[in-house]
Amino acid sequence: MNEEHLQSVLHAAPGSGAELLSGLGIVLYVGAALIFVAVIALVLHATFTDRLRASTRAWVVGGGIVFPAVALFLLLNYSIAVGSAVSAIESGSALRLLLDCFRIDSKARIPPPAPGSLRIHVDGKQWWWDVRYEVRSGDTSSIVLANELRVPLDEPVELLLTTSDVIHSFWVPSLAGKVDMIPGRTNRLVIRTSEPGIYRGQCAEYCGGQHALMALYVIAQPREEFEAWLTRQAQPAEAPRDDLLRSGYDAFFKGRCPECHTVRGTPADGASGPDLTHVGARHALAAGTLRNHIGTMAGWIAGAQDIKPGNPMPDSEVYTGRELRALSAWLESLE
Amino acid sequence: MLPIAAVLLLGCTHESGYEPNVPGGNAERGRRAIAALECGVCHEIPGVPGAWGHVGPPLVAYRGNVYIAGKQPNRPDVLMRFVRDAPSLAPDTAMPAIAMSETQARDIAAYLYSLE
Amino acid sequence: MSAVDSARALPNPLPRPPDELERLQHVWKPPKGWRLLSAVNNTYIGLFYTGAALLFLVLGGILALLMRTQLAVPENDLVDYDLYNQLFTMHGSVMMFLFAVPVIEAIGILLLPAMLGARDLPFPRLSAYAFWAYFAGGIVFFGTIFFDVAPDGGWFMYPPLTSFKFSPGLRSDFWLLGIGFIEISAIAGAIEIVVGILRTRPPGMTLDKMPVYVWAMLIVGGMIIFGFPPVILATALLELERAFHWPFFVAEQGGDSLLWQHLFWLFGHPDVYIIFLPGAGLVSMIVPAMARTPLVGYKWVVLAIVVTGFISFALWVHHMFATGMPHLTTSFFSAASMAVAIPAGIQVFAWLATLRRGRVQLATPTWFILGFFGIFVLGGLTGVMLAVAPYDWQVHDTYFVVAHLHYVVIGGMVFPVFAGIYYWAPFVSGKPLSERMGKWACALMFGGFNLAFFPMHISGLLGMPRRVWTYSDTLGWDTWNMLSTVGAFVLALGFAIALLDLLLHLRPAGKVDTNPWQAGTLEWLPLDDYGVRSIPHVESREPLWDQSQLREEVDSGRHYLPGTLTGERETIVTSAIDARPEYLLRLPGPSWLPVFAGLGTAAFFLCLTVKLFIPSMIGAVVALVSIFKWLWQSEPASTNRLYDIGSGVELRDHMTGRRSHSWWAMVVLMLVDGTIFSCLVFAYFYFWTVSTKWPPPPFDLPDGATSIAAAIAWSASAAVLAVAHRWLRAGVRRGALIASLVGAAMLAWMGFALNFMTLSDANVRPDQHAYGAVIYTMLAWQGLHVALITLMGGYTIARVLAGMVDDTRRNTFDNTRLMSYYTAAQGLAALFVMHSPSVF
Repeated sequence: MNEEHLQSVLHAAPGSGAELLSGLGIVLYVGAALIFVAVIALVLHATFTDRLRASTRAWVVGGGIVFPAVALFLLLNYSIAVGSAVSAIESGSALRLLLDCFRIDSKARIPPPAPGSLRIHVDGKQWWWDVRYEVRSGDTSSIVLANELRVPLDEPVELLLTTSDVIHSFWVPSLAGKVDMIPGRTNRLVIRTSEPGIYRGQCAEYCGGQHALMALYVIAQPREEFEAWLTRQAQPAEAPRDDLLRSGYDAFFKGRCPECHTVRGTPADGASGPDLTHVGARHALAAGTLRNHIGTMAGWIAGAQDIKPGNPMPDSEVYTGRELRALSAWLESLE
Repeated sequence: MLPIAAVLLLGCTHESGYEPNVPGGNAERGRRAIAALECGVCHEIPGVPGAWGHVGPPLVAYRGNVYIAGKQPNRPDVLMRFVRDAPSLAPDTAMPAIAMSETQARDIAAYLYSLE
Repeated sequence: MSAVDSARALPNPLPRPPDELERLQHVWKPPKGWRLLSAVNNTYIGLFYTGAALLFLVLGGILALLMRTQLAVPENDLVDYDLYNQLFTMHGSVMMFLFAVPVIEAIGILLLPAMLGARDLPFPRLSAYAFWAYFAGGIVFFGTIFFDVAPDGGWFMYPPLTSFKFSPGLRSDFWLLGIGFIEISAIAGAIEIVVGILRTRPPGMTLDKMPVYVWAMLIVGGMIIFGFPPVILATALLELERAFHWPFFVAEQGGDSLLWQHLFWLFGHPDVYIIFLPGAGLVSMIVPAMARTPLVGYKWVVLAIVVTGFISFALWVHHMFATGMPHLTTSFFSAASMAVAIPAGIQVFAWLATLRRGRVQLATPTWFILGFFGIFVLGGLTGVMLAVAPYDWQVHDTYFVVAHLHYVVIGGMVFPVFAGIYYWAPFVSGKPLSERMGKWACALMFGGFNLAFFPMHISGLLGMPRRVWTYSDTLGWDTWNMLSTVGAFVLALGFAIALLDLLLHLRPAGKVDTNPWQAGTLEWLPLDDYGVRSIPHVESREPLWDQSQLREEVDSGRHYLPGTLTGERETIVTSAIDARPEYLLRLPGPSWLPVFAGLGTAAFFLCLTVKLFIPSMIGAVVALVSIFKWLWQSEPASTNRLYDIGSGVELRDHMTGRRSHSWWAMVVLMLVDGTIFSCLVFAYFYFWTVSTKWPPPPFDLPDGATSIAAAIAWSASAAVLAVAHRWLRAGVRRGALIASLVGAAMLAWMGFALNFMTLSDANVRPDQHAYGAVIYTMLAWQGLHVALITLMGGYTIARVLAGMVDDTRRNTFDNTRLMSYYTAAQGLAALFVMHSPSVF
């Protein structure tokens, strides 16, 4: 499962909305290239050849009005068809006709998710993503993680996108187009992929200081693996297994960590920072900025302001070397 | 007097003739391993993009260091062990044991020694 | 005698009086030495303005090079995130507000009078004022980058990021106040340009004979008049939110951050065409001249420009496709955005057909025109891609868009401007710039541009969002970014060569008599500081091609107004549609007043930004005193004579009422005000639509009875001046006139006080909910107008007392009267809007 895909419009995942958009893109690139070459060839020919004929009707009306009008009319209809196909909406008969005209078959379309199916709430924050699974209708507090979404293969998954502070934009280019997260509104995006792997995404709307370091990962896996992960995520953190981990646990509470972070199963219930209950299982740290291992964890705790200056997490300078190592080890053990 | 002092001073560095090298280590591979393991989160390491951390000591001109972490002699075998498992050599260190292969450790040591 | 009849009498065969030319030269002589800064003549202001705009191009370009250097390699630490965010915000803001819009107005001010055969534009001191306010304000605004207080919210400054909560400190304020008043300067320039084009055309130049560039500038002037108000309002609202916490954009308090986006792009998209259409206009002038054949499809091109102007106001939502709007909305704006490609296509094919018919001179301007085609066509095509909503969901806010917008703006405006610089340099200095340097510059700019910006399409498609200060080396963006950086430096070298060429070889000459490209339009007539020696009667679109003797005739004073008749600077005002001579406009000469007024205005806004209230008040006083003093000198007394401007056409030297240029400018200003007010009404209804209950509990509607009283007071205020107008025409005594002006102002204030009571009695407060904020802003805007008519009334009273207002000399009174009508109408409309929830 662990293949990391490029964060790229040009590398759309099969079965995703991005794949349809990528097909649309090819039509656009080819069309634009042909028109560009033709126009430039005509300009150069006109410039370097004297006194050619050019009737207003043929050139201005034909080239400037009729040709673009026809091409744009077709393009508009095609784009409306593709737009509806990736938007997980019920298509009315007119739209279905349009989809058939442009041969967008029903398997390629992103269907509206079935009622009661998995919904994930993603809330943008400066500069990370709070992720909550709505497993049962209305319950969004039992599975909480950050900067990572796991989704089952081949199933449309509905994302509900909000923000707690400024405008962000949720964008995983290999899976779907971007959707803004706007204060006071809830936007919706349905994603699907039929290829397992790790898809990188990044905030696309400038959101202040560390906008550049606000990434996330969507990990697609087969249904059974996903279920196992989900079950694990729903559980609270395990008690520390050995002395090292126990001293790490103590260090967590010695510092100011619990003020902002929650670790379910412990007294730590801070709400402003990412939930750390299963932080050890995540693909990355600091919103996609660092790989997740004990070394980067220690570095992030001690040097958060070095790595991502201006982010709300302070450098923790209260720990001895041993404590920092133990703390990192404990957090990494939270899988 | 002056020449003697100079010799004494030089004696404190490897420039007195000791040339650490890491048999089988590939500095370029080591540089890539450092980038992949993100050692730069804590250390300033010349030649590695984004390696400007201040959590640990800067590894600028590392070849010239006499001691590793102020505790162990700066020798290739020690350094290789240190980058993989620092606590075993310096129990109070903040640097955790980092999971990596022996080859990676060798390459990383080779790269660090290439920093003059 | 009508103009058509008189034209038959031209050229005037009579010998010219011996001292006529000398007197003309004398009155138009520019001030010498450092006093040249007090010049107001369009030639000098146009050059200052263009020079300043090019300076900001260089400064903005340096910021871009810093950014490109930072992004050359992944995880670079040349600049940190905080400086980088200021760099891209300043780059965008400087290029859009301090370079692009000013440079098109600057070129307009420089070229238009010559193309229209006018001696100057109708309000030379207004141009000077607009320039100085812009220049001083722009320099200070740019300077913020050196003090770490430059704005860092991106050039479109989306709240809530830019509001008080997430951007405390001064950075955003510099943007809002700095850019806010530079927009006001742009509007001043637009009023000058629109009134100039409509009223100072040469006799005979009916609308269908106007050069295409003039058409473009006319439409662009109109677009500025309707396009800038939304952003002026938006900046005012955001500043009110920042300063007083009026929650226009705070979702929890009934505001909506998307309102900013609507208002910003309602300006921002027309702005793209405000920049592009003049560029296209320049191309429409240069292509026929270089191809030595008239533009093919003139009427189509003009139609395309007009249509673009209209459609450009229906596209703004395509900047917001990713905000999650309904499909139908998306499809509508998608269609409109595609539709704008058609007028662009018309122009491209008209130029193409012209190039085909002609025999093209391969000089530097042609090189830049070819570069323009190569860049702009691609930018247009990627523009169509962005209009495709689902595709935009992918590339929006990525480097693909960065590439697209630079292809459009640099292709559509910068290349035509440089083509124009090389094409019109002889018009300024009498001789061309260096062909060698020009061609090198063009080649480097073209190559560098494509190397810098083409790879950005790819980095964008590879997932690189815009406005990132760093990126990881694992994303595959390294190579493309390195190419972009190298290209940026090559492009910069090209610019440097062209600008060096200008520094070395452009020496403004007083007397210019050259037509190196054998062009057909009036700006290639022999010129001096006074413009053309005599204002020609125009019979075709390319008079110099069709009237072979015109150069000689004009230069020997055989057309209209060959000298100075009143002993002052003057030009002919003609009717707006068919360009019949209407009166002789006496123009003001050099003065320091517009300079002081401009600097004072800049000081007022900038000191206000840093909360230096006393210096800011001093700035305001300097500006107001200078403006009143300069106005005092305007509208000189009529000599009550008829002046023969040549071949028996006799004109007065003064005009009042609807035919006066002053009335036209006032109407344009009211259009600006009305547009700002309409946007405010839009905001009101917008909040209503996003709210579940309106007015939101616990607030209530304004009090009804008091509202009616306010409406009566405002109506009465306007009625008083309407009556006074009749009295004035009937020759009433001063006392009654003064009493009516005082009465009108007092009634207006009474209306304001009553309107205020309607809100305070209903317990509406501005800082609790967007509802209160928006209606208080309406009230404040109305209050500003009441204050304005009070000032104008006081000034009119002063002129009445000085004996400077009477039946024939009453532009001052008329302007006050018009503003008072407008204020009353706006007050009534505001009251209606405030009560609309009980109607609908």
